[in-house]
Amino acid sequence: MTKRLTFTTLTAMMALTGGMVMAEEKTLDIGVTDALTGGAAVYGLPQSNAVQMAVEEINAAGGVKVGEDTYMLNVIAYDDKANPTEATNAVRKLIDRDGVKFILGFCCSGATGAVASFIANEDAVMLVGNAAERSITTKEIANLTRTRPPADYTGAAAGTFVAQKGHKKVAVLGALDVGFYASYVDAFEAELKKAGGEIVTRESFGLKDRDMSPQLTKIRELQPDAILVVGYVEPAAFIYRQAVELGIDVPRYGFTSGSEEQFLRVATSEQMEGVWDLRPTELTLLSASENGVAYHANYTEKFGIAPSPSSPYAYDQTYALKHALEAAGTVEDTAAVAAALREMPIPAEVVMQYLPVDGKMFDANGQAYTSNGAFQWQGGNWVFVQDLPSDAAAYSAFLSTID
Amino acid sequence: MKLRVSHILYAAALVGFILLPQLITVKYYLHLSVLALVWVIAAQGQNLIQGYTGYVSIVQAGFMGIGAYSTTLMGLHFGLPVWLTILLAPFVTALFALFAGYPSLRVKGHYFAIVTLAFNLVIFIVLMHATDLTQGEAGISGIPKPGREGGWLDFANREVYYYFVLIIAVAMTALAALIVRSRIGQTLIAIRQNETLVGAIGIAAWKYKLFAFVTSAMYAGLAGALYAHYQSFINPEIFGLAQSLDAILAVIIGGSGTILGPVIGAFVVVFLPEYLRFADSFRLILYGLLLVLATIFMPRGIVGVVGQLWARMAGKATR
Amino acid sequence: MIEILQQIVNGVAIGGVYVLIALGLTTVFGILGIAHFAHGSVSMFGGYLTFFLVTSWGFPLLLAILVALIVGFVLGMLIELLAYRPVRNANHINAFIVALGLTMMVEGLNLQFFGHEQVVIPTNLSRVFDIGGVTIPELRLYVIIAAALLIIAMTLFVEKTKTGQAIRAVAENRDAAILMGVNVKTIPLVVFAISTALGVCAGVMVGSLFAIAPGIGEWLVVKGFAVLILGGLGSIPGAIVGGLVLGVTEALAAGFISSAYKDVIAFVVMIAVLLLRPQGLMGKA
Repeated sequence: MTKRLTFTTLTAMMALTGGMVMAEEKTLDIGVTDALTGGAAVYGLPQSNAVQMAVEEINAAGGVKVGEDTYMLNVIAYDDKANPTEATNAVRKLIDRDGVKFILGFCCSGATGAVASFIANEDAVMLVGNAAERSITTKEIANLTRTRPPADYTGAAAGTFVAQKGHKKVAVLGALDVGFYASYVDAFEAELKKAGGEIVTRESFGLKDRDMSPQLTKIRELQPDAILVVGYVEPAAFIYRQAVELGIDVPRYGFTSGSEEQFLRVATSEQMEGVWDLRPTELTLLSASENGVAYHANYTEKFGIAPSPSSPYAYDQTYALKHALEAAGTVEDTAAVAAALREMPIPAEVVMQYLPVDGKMFDANGQAYTSNGAFQWQGGNWVFVQDLPSDAAAYSAFLSTID
Repeated sequence: MKLRVSHILYAAALVGFILLPQLITVKYYLHLSVLALVWVIAAQGQNLIQGYTGYVSIVQAGFMGIGAYSTTLMGLHFGLPVWLTILLAPFVTALFALFAGYPSLRVKGHYFAIVTLAFNLVIFIVLMHATDLTQGEAGISGIPKPGREGGWLDFANREVYYYFVLIIAVAMTALAALIVRSRIGQTLIAIRQNETLVGAIGIAAWKYKLFAFVTSAMYAGLAGALYAHYQSFINPEIFGLAQSLDAILAVIIGGSGTILGPVIGAFVVVFLPEYLRFADSFRLILYGLLLVLATIFMPRGIVGVVGQLWARMAGKATR
Repeated sequence: MIEILQQIVNGVAIGGVYVLIALGLTTVFGILGIAHFAHGSVSMFGGYLTFFLVTSWGFPLLLAILVALIVGFVLGMLIELLAYRPVRNANHINAFIVALGLTMMVEGLNLQFFGHEQVVIPTNLSRVFDIGGVTIPELRLYVIIAAALLIIAMTLFVEKTKTGQAIRAVAENRDAAILMGVNVKTIPLVVFAISTALGVCAGVMVGSLFAIAPGIGEWLVVKGFAVLILGGLGSIPGAIVGGLVLGVTEALAAGFISSAYKDVIAFVVMIAVLLLRPQGLMGKA
């Protein structure tokens, strides 16, 4: 009983000390919330690293010039384990306790959705990275932008591509419980149907499933022209291997964004040969710009490991924020900074290849668009084959019609 | 004499909780306190089945999920007012608990823990896949607050919501105390101590166990509903196995089979990670170790340890 | 017809892994009454260790498995001594909570030592056999054979050896066994050592046929307990039958009903068995 009383006072004391932010002259704190541990850390940790790296570059280059003043950036990063409650807690702490107004990171859809549901009421700007769920940018939240395009934008381009290859009967095997994977398939199906094709079955697998042979056996019986594999790389790699083992020899298309290393851990290069990955042209050395090559080299040197393909979404956020702060001429007025983000041309420092909408990086929904690419496994590597037919302006108009 | 001391302490604790929002200068801790109060309700339920009856249930978070989704969906599809859906949520949860509890509680012992665990997994899978209803992993956002728009109480204000949840948490704690003192509660404790004996004197133990389980699920359903309307966002991630383990942890750490244990345990579970940030990657190991050591060395939790110390001090004072 | 046969073959492979996990769980449960929830994570530790020895230290696979087995033996005994023995005489709920705590610890240790990327134990076995239209990869076949051999060895050990008989005696009637002079202090150690070694074998199989990743151990142990309910708690034949039934049920459910809900279907089957035959398929009434 007495224990609880001391606990309460302890909490109150912690609250008091926590309230004193150690603010130095001309330092601007920016926040990161992302999955730094747990299963989603594969996506979240590289994003957090990328923000840190961008901030160090910006500071080394003289900081952020806002009006008369020059600010050095300082990153406060919290782990949300991709969990919605933890992400809400992290953002509440950044805003309420640390006095942060600009929050980056956000690798994963559930956690991002939770924060997006209340961020409109806060005096803050939220910059979303890798989270691909469409609904995050359909509500036209004025103080939210996202660098990664929604999954169905890519899915539609993929559907067109596969239809052009002449496939009529496509079997889908995907992590369909995950919203954005399902929306990729929906958009894929819509384009396939326009060309007279159809999806003959939609089979599902869970994050911990590694034995896909029951689903693949069913697909084998249906004799499709092609299969489409949609999901996280770790289970998806097994599908490609087990499809070969079961003697399925139709073309295999996918949306997994895994690296060569991740696939070769599970399947041999022969088993992977000819597989297509239809996804945003994220960071692969073959498709990368000069910025991309430099990013890859710097990141690898700094963190001792190659950057994940999606990590530049967070790097690019940081530069977008820098330019928006400078354009708005304030670090206090978050509405002005949010408006400046939406008015901004594509900064020169970004790594991903964005397609501008009306000459701007973000559209009215706060959404940015990269190009989509078709990659194929050839002789042990992902090879960039061609751009996918993707129409950023049309998709942007479509996005504005959803609520 | 002892009774009076504990009554003073209860009153002091209550005053402390009432004053808490005034003492907290950083709103973030108020936010955590609201979450902790929600967990108090869930943990009180967990304590009924785990602490008093002696059966580990590993589905408390799953039941919170059923409560959260049922209040949200009833509001969304039937246009029912928030206060009504919050009231109905525990009853919806109870139906699911009957379904899971009936087959597993009629047979002996360990089946129960395993079946409840499997049931939590099933709830999770269904919430993820039934996207037409639940919107799957993307979750449901914009869940309305209680109260009318522009009413005299603004539930979007965290302080208001804190008192709202505090009133319910106190009421549910009082209800738990009443249940425990009733004949039913005494039977539950007897089951924990010697189930065979209870059966031998002609009491159908499974009915009492089912009562405890369904009641604990209703507590969870209520907590889940309060959570949904507080956060305004839910997705299946929040109602997985890990959170059910948190409920078990709260009861063990606080003191299982005591009324105050879950209150303390819930606050520990919500606030502890704040002070363990330095050890993010070790947290799992640390939690596990804590659980093992607590079970071996302080099976009656913080309340038990404090109680022992108190008894020792009181013993010395009278000597 | 070929499709059904193929699905059954698919189910037998994963079922074999379930059987090995369940055998470890069921001996611990039958003899000590402990629901050893950490078994899955400990098994995965064995798989991780094998992977590490093969890829980082260049051990040949069989030697690596042997080392992992020995480590498993010791680890099993330590777990019994340090974690479960102190709560031996307390309410059974305490042992279960210790088991949950152990699970968190072992999962955390696995994460700390081996990281969060999935690992696959390299075997270089990539041939595929085709028997009348039913395909079976070489590796799968070996896993099924190895599981069968381990099951036979386990049965022989329990039926034919002195220690095995002592274990059975304790399982059937603890007090009588004590009176007959069975050393009840060492029996739990032996049981944990053997069950953990079986778990390590299962971990190696999962790690080579599929993959080891955070959370896989917990997923497996849940399946293992489902097998126990299906087959009957504490019954060795029950674990064998239950494991195969669960594996084949899942494959058929995914192939013919719904892949999204295959785990839910398996759960419904489990509940149905619980209602109709509470002692399990092979348990004594």
